[in-house]
Amino acid sequence: MKLPLSWLSDYVDIGDITPQELADKLLSIGFEVEEIVPPRSDIKGVVVGKVEEIVHHENSDKLWICKVNIGREVVQIVTGAQNVKKGDCVPVATVGAVLPDGTHIKPAKLRGADSFGMMCGGSELGVDDDVIEGASFDGILILPCDSTIGEDILYTLGQADTVLDVSITANRPDCQAIVNLAREISVLLDKPFKSPKLTYKTSDMGLSDFPTVKIAEKDLCSYYIGRMIYDIKIEKSPKWMRDRLRMCGIRPINNLVDITNYVLLEIGQPLHAFDRKFIDGGITVRKGGCGERLTALDGKEYDVNDVLVISDDKKPLAIAGIMGGEYTSIFPDTQTVFLEAARFERSNVRRTSRKIGLRSDSSARYEKGVDWISVEIGSARALALIDELKCGKIAAATVSDSIEPPKQKVIRTTKEEICSLLGIEIDKKTIVSILKKQDIAVKTEGKTLVCTIPLVREDIDGYPDLAEDIMRFYGYDNIISTYSENTHQTRGYMSIHDDNTQKVKDRLQALGADEILNYSFVSPDAPDKLLLSTNDAWRNVIPIKNPLSRDISVMRTQLIYGMLCSISRNCARKNDTMRFYELGKVFVANKLPLESLPQERDVLCVGICNDGDFYTIKSIVGEIIGMFGNTEYSPSAAAYLHPKQSLHVEAHGIVGDFGKLHPLVCENYDLPENVYVAHLDITDALVTAMPTAKYIPLSKQHPIDRDLALIVESNIAVGEMLSAIHTVSPYIASVKLFDIYTGEQIADGYKSVAFSVRIQPTDAPFSDGKIKEIMDNIIEKAATQFGAKLR
Amino acid sequence: MNLKEIRADALKKLEELHAKSERDLAALKTYLFGKTGILTGLMKGLKDLPPEQKPQAGKEINDLRVELLEKCEQKEKELHRLAIEQAINSQAIDLSIDRPDHAIGCAHPINQVRRRLTEYFVGNGYIVYDSPEIETDYYNFQALNVPPDHPARDMQDTFFITDNILLRTQTSSGQIRLMEKYKPPLKMICPGRVFRNDDDSTHSPVFHQMEGLVIDKNVTLCDLKGALDGFAKFIFGEQTQIRFRPSYFPFTEPSVEVDVSCFNCHGSGCRVCKNTGWIEILGAGMVNRRVLEGCGIDPDEYRGFAFGVGLDRITMILGAINDIKLMWENDVRFLHMFK
Repeated sequence: MKLPLSWLSDYVDIGDITPQELADKLLSIGFEVEEIVPPRSDIKGVVVGKVEEIVHHENSDKLWICKVNIGREVVQIVTGAQNVKKGDCVPVATVGAVLPDGTHIKPAKLRGADSFGMMCGGSELGVDDDVIEGASFDGILILPCDSTIGEDILYTLGQADTVLDVSITANRPDCQAIVNLAREISVLLDKPFKSPKLTYKTSDMGLSDFPTVKIAEKDLCSYYIGRMIYDIKIEKSPKWMRDRLRMCGIRPINNLVDITNYVLLEIGQPLHAFDRKFIDGGITVRKGGCGERLTALDGKEYDVNDVLVISDDKKPLAIAGIMGGEYTSIFPDTQTVFLEAARFERSNVRRTSRKIGLRSDSSARYEKGVDWISVEIGSARALALIDELKCGKIAAATVSDSIEPPKQKVIRTTKEEICSLLGIEIDKKTIVSILKKQDIAVKTEGKTLVCTIPLVREDIDGYPDLAEDIMRFYGYDNIISTYSENTHQTRGYMSIHDDNTQKVKDRLQALGADEILNYSFVSPDAPDKLLLSTNDAWRNVIPIKNPLSRDISVMRTQLIYGMLCSISRNCARKNDTMRFYELGKVFVANKLPLESLPQERDVLCVGICNDGDFYTIKSIVGEIIGMFGNTEYSPSAAAYLHPKQSLHVEAHGIVGDFGKLHPLVCENYDLPENVYVAHLDITDALVTAMPTAKYIPLSKQHPIDRDLALIVESNIAVGEMLSAIHTVSPYIASVKLFDIYTGEQIADGYKSVAFSVRIQPTDAPFSDGKIKEIMDNIIEKAATQFGAKLR
Repeated sequence: MNLKEIRADALKKLEELHAKSERDLAALKTYLFGKTGILTGLMKGLKDLPPEQKPQAGKEINDLRVELLEKCEQKEKELHRLAIEQAINSQAIDLSIDRPDHAIGCAHPINQVRRRLTEYFVGNGYIVYDSPEIETDYYNFQALNVPPDHPARDMQDTFFITDNILLRTQTSSGQIRLMEKYKPPLKMICPGRVFRNDDDSTHSPVFHQMEGLVIDKNVTLCDLKGALDGFAKFIFGEQTQIRFRPSYFPFTEPSVEVDVSCFNCHGSGCRVCKNTGWIEILGAGMVNRRVLEGCGIDPDEYRGFAFGVGLDRITMILGAINDIKLMWENDVRFLHMFK
């Protein structure tokens, strides 16, 4: 909220506190100042001058010589502008002045005539018609004739004030009003609060002309006051009012509209002015009917079916709390005004505003919540200003409708209750005094403090709220640190899931993979780019109703997309080698559209680029699955993988595929061909604790190593053969492949497989015969199962 | 040769041996002690001496034999050492070259911070609770004292899946799920991803929070300060101070914003803290009575505090990371800065 310090000073004397000091103090009571907008500092030495004499320059057709009164003296200024007349008030950059473009004004001679200064146009001062009328005109800015001669132009332009932009938390809608914020500041600075003027003269006027007021929807509108002003004179509002509105970001329009906006800022009460002559019969606050439409002040037509409206006997006049109708708004010929001050229920205004897609300063204010008291004060304050500015005559009568006026809340608490929540001792006198300063009446009944809460403070509804309001002014720096003195000793631990997750991550990092993070939502094009079939489960994505963009509009069902985008981004930046993993959640819908929460599954995705081959990714996958048990592979049907270089794995609660990326997928993601990925759903593996490692006694016997070379047909899966050989005897400790050879001496269609077998006796050394028996069994097994022959 | 001459001759030959004469040494040993060696011969000749001379002569021969054996052994060791030293000299390599071995990988900087904080709180008796990222309106808002159409909803732009199902905007939803499931006393942290419909230079639509919740009978605002003070000192250093400022969150009352003294300038003002000496790091407060009631906990018997830390923010502060987008680009060069 914008808070001009001059406006604040109307209600509390802030003395000579600097804006920064005030901002710091406001922070300590919960109001953060987001910005301090200082007065303009790029204009210096420009004052209001009055042209007292103007004559043609004798040596020029276009130049004029003026005598200008700048308050302290009358100076001669030569100008080339053609729009200046005798008696005009103009901005004068005096000798020594600085203009926004950096120009320094010096004495000059123009065709022989001395010139001590320069008259300025709006553009030279960096202002336009929005700031002051006439400023957009190409020529000298002619100021209003009542301007004060000699006054610094910043005051005339209304740009000499400091404005604080204060952020108001959602629990304090009352402080969306300058008057209520001033009250807080008066407590903060311990200065008296000056109430706004709420009194005005009234004139008699027959009630007969008053429309009646009736609220049909008292849940949505609890209070409605109507006042009448007649003999209206629509004109410009005074400069001080226009300046203040502008400082708060509101464009001045005319006296009456400006007053309603001024009261909105000052009291926090939205008001609406209707032209009386267009009200047909009585005012009813009701819901719009089917087919009813209203053209609002923004010129657009809105369907107001089921929307709360202000209507007369025949038609809707305004969308309640949001915007008035174009038809009944104030025009220069308006003579009688019906002034509305009402309390509309905030959530309904919020809902309606979103539903019809229309927001206004008024609806923004109502959405935050307007209290009961502001309705009366707001109405009275507007009338006082109307009276002060002589905009018209105020009828004495009031028409209104409302629910039963709310009662002030009473909270019964004790000093002990408040202090035990805070953890520090504050004496009762201090507590009572701080509360009283905030207009909270406190009565003592024995130990009990009976606190009566003013109606503007709708946020207070229990002793913790009072504790907060005490601390705001007592000072949060008085809260000390205590460590577990008031809590039980508890057992801290990580779940098995989190513990396992961490172990998997540690293992991946030891394997050289860097952890990456990708958004949880992806492009709906991902399945196509991954070549997924039309019935692939990964296509069952959960769409977001209001995504930021199409690229991130559906919840991910896989991590491949994000992995490939990350690799691709790196490649585009010439980072060509990487080994990545992401361990994150994917979202599996049980039914679409979603009726209940989806499954959130933990998926591990590994991606390597120019950092190894199929066997690298296989070894990484093997290491991870090995944490949970033995690995078993089967052919993979994953569409995004190379059909000849991919495997499927399903073991120990881990399901997934890995291998070389399909060349078409590489093209779709602009990737080099040397990319390998693994995608493993490890959700079910994470829920059980990993097996604890167990010691198997080490044999004291020497192991025996024997090498073998076998010839098999080239299509034989060597890994499978070696695994089979491993099972031949329990004494085989390892089978290590060291060569696969094709070429000379080996017939076409065959390959030679050389490997080393380590035989480990347990209790006693093996005889040569025993070793030979094992080796013979190996050859036998390889021959019968894989058709192998000794080389 | 008599014994004296043999000795002098042997010592002279030993002296003449140098590196690479290991074979000469072996030959010398054979000449002296071998089967047909000179000392062996003398020993054999003892039998021809008269019995009264035998002991004396025998002793003299044997003394010489022991002395020379020892000398030979010494020489042998010396020569071996010389041989190794020579080999070492030939093994000099260029030490200025690097040939990287298999590199270890690193955790994402955000998860490094998350892990550190998790370990801190677990050590202080907190459990780690995992709560869904796709949530119902009830857990994300209503149970946290934010009814439908409440203005506090404007504080958080929400991604919706349906009218009632959304992407959680805060890990605070974990508070409710925990309190529904377990009885106090409770100490919990709930770290995880949260989502807001917001994307600019300081906001990412996905980011990470860590919720903290403590429920017990006599918890005070001072206990909250103590918990956060310990955490701030752990992360930002022992000299770190924290400060409370009043604020508003619907699910806590009183509510506070928490600032830490700037770890860079220790309060005197610098770029990191934008010259204020303080850095805003989290929001916290005493759990609102309505939240407890909604979870079936009697607010007259139990109280609690809650806090929510932005993990991305802490990571950015600690790592001097100036653009939140870097966190999600996964640029290898960026990731490797946090090894």
